Amino acid sequence: MPDSAISKTSAMAPARAPDAVRSRSTSLRARGEPFVWLLGGALAFGVMMIVGFLLLVLWNGIAAFFPKPLAEVRLTDGSKLAGEPTRRERYPVTPEQLGKLASAPRAAILAADGVSGRTLYRIGNYDIYNEDFRWVSDFEVTTVAYPAQLMFVERREWGPLVGSAVAMKLGNEAERPMAAFSAAAVTAAHREALARWERIRHLERGEIGRINHYLEQGRLRVRRAELRHGTASAEAQTARAAAEEQARELQKSYDAFSGEARDLRQRDATHLITFAEIGGKTKTLPLSGVVRMYAANDLHLMDKLAVYVSRWWEFLSDEPREANTEGGVLPAIFGTFAMTLLLVLVVAPFGVVTALYLREYARQGRLVSIVRISVNNLAGVPSIVYGVFGLGFFAYILGGTIDQVFFSERLPSPTFGTGGLLWSSLTLALLTVPVVIVATEEALAAVPRSMREGSLACGASKWQTIRNIVLPRAMPGIMTGIILAMARGAGEVAPLMLVGVVKLAPELPIDGFFPYIHLERSFMHLGFHIFDVGFQSRNSEAGKPMVFVTTVLLVALVAAMNASAIIIRSRLKRKFQGSQF
Amino acid sequence: MAVAAAPQQKPIAQGGYKTVCHVKRGPAGAVLEIGGFNLWYGASQALFEVCMAVEKGLVTALIGPSGCGKSTLLRSLNRMNDLIDGVRTGGLVKLDGEDIYDSRADVIALRKRMGMVFQKPNPFPMSIFENVVYPLRVDGVNDRATLQEACERALRGAALWEEAKDRLGESALGLSGGQQQRLCIARATAGEPDVLLMDEPCSALDPIATAKIEELMDELSGQYTVIIVTHNMQQAARVSDNTAFMYLGRLIEYGDTEEIFTTPSDPRTQDYITGRFG
Repeated sequence: MPDSAISKTSAMAPARAPDAVRSRSTSLRARGEPFVWLLGGALAFGVMMIVGFLLLVLWNGIAAFFPKPLAEVRLTDGSKLAGEPTRRERYPVTPEQLGKLASAPRAAILAADGVSGRTLYRIGNYDIYNEDFRWVSDFEVTTVAYPAQLMFVERREWGPLVGSAVAMKLGNEAERPMAAFSAAAVTAAHREALARWERIRHLERGEIGRINHYLEQGRLRVRRAELRHGTASAEAQTARAAAEEQARELQKSYDAFSGEARDLRQRDATHLITFAEIGGKTKTLPLSGVVRMYAANDLHLMDKLAVYVSRWWEFLSDEPREANTEGGVLPAIFGTFAMTLLLVLVVAPFGVVTALYLREYARQGRLVSIVRISVNNLAGVPSIVYGVFGLGFFAYILGGTIDQVFFSERLPSPTFGTGGLLWSSLTLALLTVPVVIVATEEALAAVPRSMREGSLACGASKWQTIRNIVLPRAMPGIMTGIILAMARGAGEVAPLMLVGVVKLAPELPIDGFFPYIHLERSFMHLGFHIFDVGFQSRNSEAGKPMVFVTTVLLVALVAAMNASAIIIRSRLKRKFQGSQF
Repeated sequence: MAVAAAPQQKPIAQGGYKTVCHVKRGPAGAVLEIGGFNLWYGASQALFEVCMAVEKGLVTALIGPSGCGKSTLLRSLNRMNDLIDGVRTGGLVKLDGEDIYDSRADVIALRKRMGMVFQKPNPFPMSIFENVVYPLRVDGVNDRATLQEACERALRGAALWEEAKDRLGESALGLSGGQQQRLCIARATAGEPDVLLMDEPCSALDPIATAKIEELMDELSGQYTVIIVTHNMQQAARVSDNTAFMYLGRLIEYGDTEEIFTTPSDPRTQDYITGRFG
């Protein structure tokens, strides 16, 4: 066969005229020019998409808290509305709407192909109008004004109020019109009301919460004694007596605290502020019910910045209000952070040890290949599958067993037998451990042979070589793997929805009660917060700024982790890999 | 077969090649005896019936064309070849009369007795001080004074003390190539081994650094038994007392350096030395 092939080519070769076939200039194709353009174009497209997405999120997130002006709009039907113009769009006007219009505006709309502009106003006053936002078409508008006395009032309940303050009543004084108070007096009164509100919250949530905690502890002690020794046993009797004694003690301090809280509430109810909204209705609410108020059209740049900063501060340091669409995300930041930390504590040793064994000690054979391929494939399993596994195995089987053995007195309400911080971290650790294993294996493989040989030739054992030479040298790669796993874990939401993340967690996983760190508690998470605020809340338009701000926060968190990975890696690299010559 | 221990010249006919065992000449006798040593990488044989005795306190050079097995032979002496998958050996290697391939032999103890310097300088990513005292550290020596004394002695022995004494705490990776190689020699000698194995220690260095290392080898030859693999025949002629010529995995000729370079008995040695191949 080869003979005939050779003879064929050799027979054809002289038939070719070499000069005619070969050209001296290189064609564009041969130089690969079109492919370079194709590759470059694809790269540019990808980069543009990412940059565009980041810019969109960043702009919306950063601008969300900046105070907007309040417009007072007079409509053609004679009514008025006031609110923040949020966005504009063009839309096709329906024939029914057109039919109702006068001839001049109708002609104008028809001239523009039946399309008109409209503006979405955040009118607030949900308790009065049953809507927070309202579309206003351009042809309905007669005049738009920006009166200085219009105020944007953020309330603890019912969302924002738009209107002007008309009167205030402080304590037992008679109600006086707003003009009677100076701006400083209003600020001082408001600050005092907020401090009072904080004190009430501290009493009711902190002190009385603690009393409830101790009462619950006492009840559990009784239950434990009953379970262990029988209901009628002497131990149970003693425990019951002790619990009753403690309950009496606690009742005394409970009475003191609740009395103070009641007094404060009564006092709080006498500090009132009244607003008049644009439709002529008035609304009176306790001063402490106002989180923040400002005359939006009467602000200087510094005032606007102050509002902006105070909103960011509230966002980062406070709890959510209004079904998460307002207030802060501190519990979510805390939950994300705690979960990620726990995740790293689990995933780093486990992944590194596994990779060390696979790469350094295991006999490189078929079994190790299978293990390695399986590990790599684990990274491709959909994350929700891990969630199902985590719920089924960790929460129900493992947690259920723990409950029965250690927390039987609390049953039937589960302690570890339901989703929680620990199970979430373990589930995500399973999800991200392939990243660490693969990165560590690669880092170990990249340690030059000469280093290991140098160490072994000095009489070091294999373990000494790994500990002194290989691990330090592979550390940049290992750190990169760990931090990538961390970043992936911090951004993962789907499995968490099954194993412990909740919309609103009443308690943080760390508090002042023994054992201080409560790994069994469910927690809040930034990623889930975005989903919840944006798509699960009553008023998704109101939650929109929150969605963007939280997204910015989450992206910043992940970006910060990745940046630190790069910094740590380059620093370690500089330390361990100087120039060879 | 305890051929290596035989004191007289004893040619062994082996597949048409003549393998020669050298007469013991050193006053202290042989430190290493290699007898009928074979080595396979998987299915292919790399060393055939190597048979030689390395004399104590002298410098022995292994020369030969690329791929002749001289590095493999050197790495067999401290069992560095154990690290490569699929390596099998046969025959005897005796260090002071003890078989190092015995199943009860302690490889780590063996390597402590055999310092090794590699082709490319391979300082560890640590300070100069920690590099030099590494063999002591793995022995569990942590006494500062002992370590400092060993470090100074080893660095002086490697003619690096004057250059490095003010920067012992700095990273060893900041040294030049020649300095790094002398550092590796200091590291190899810090544990006071019996034998120093050098695998083409100058092949990655410039001529000046090479001259320094050769000078150093001269000084070392009094204290250690040195086995050096080299491509450079002038180097072999300059630094060594004995020379072994290897070709295609076989030891062709072994004897006094002067003899090998002036009156080689094998025509292939003659050809190699005169530059006809290699």
